[in-house]
Amino acid sequence: MTQKLLKLSGIGENRLHLAWLSSAEAQRFVDITTGVIDQVKAQGQFDAEQFSLELAAAEETLKAEALRWMVGKEVKLLARGDVYGRKWEKENFEKILDDVLEREYHKQLIRQAIIADFTSVRAISRRIGLGLKRISYLLADMEKTNMVEFKGHTECVPVFGAL
Amino acid sequence: MEQVEPKIVAFLCNWCAYAGADLAGVSRIQHPSNMRTVRVMCSGRVDPIFIVQALKSGCDGVLVAG
Repeated sequence: MTQKLLKLSGIGENRLHLAWLSSAEAQRFVDITTGVIDQVKAQGQFDAEQFSLELAAAEETLKAEALRWMVGKEVKLLARGDVYGRKWEKENFEKILDDVLEREYHKQLIRQAIIADFTSVRAISRRIGLGLKRISYLLADMEKTNMVEFKGHTECVPVFGAL
Repeated sequence: MEQVEPKIVAFLCNWCAYAGADLAGVSRIQHPSNMRTVRVMCSGRVDPIFIVQALKSGCDGVLVAG
């Protein structure tokens, strides 16, 4: 899931590697580390400054309740079903988890853009590259959950502030 | 641009990967030195937030091994 998030944010999923090995596999450890180093080398140096908005948004997304609840409930939903007695298929669950991940990440990215003083829909769109429609839709959602507030108009342009 | 050695943060499980890394050292197998190791008692201890924070603090890659 974190790899998906890194991919979504443009940081690149290949910056995170997962590996399983046992304590007796020294050679395998060396092979894995060498492979990881080569792959990271191929991508070059990572500039955290350039991705500051994305990293902050990714961190907030992982901290927020929505994803933590969903990940925590995965086994229960798949094995025993939800409170209405509906069994969940793994594919279906993962699709919804992906949707939630994308939506939550975009919301946090918009919030970070507003904090960084891109306060109108157009300015936000220029900064983070999301469509105007998507941003307006998410902003309406974020207003309801007190993530942002509508501050008023400056020269007929609606301006938002982060809460 | 000159190729700099990448910095990689490795979260290693005390019982599996860390012992494996230790064994690699003890049996003197040559391996690169780009890893900055963080030993954890279980790779389940690693929160996704750690990974983002590692990237934030300027490393080029993260490895979680258990």
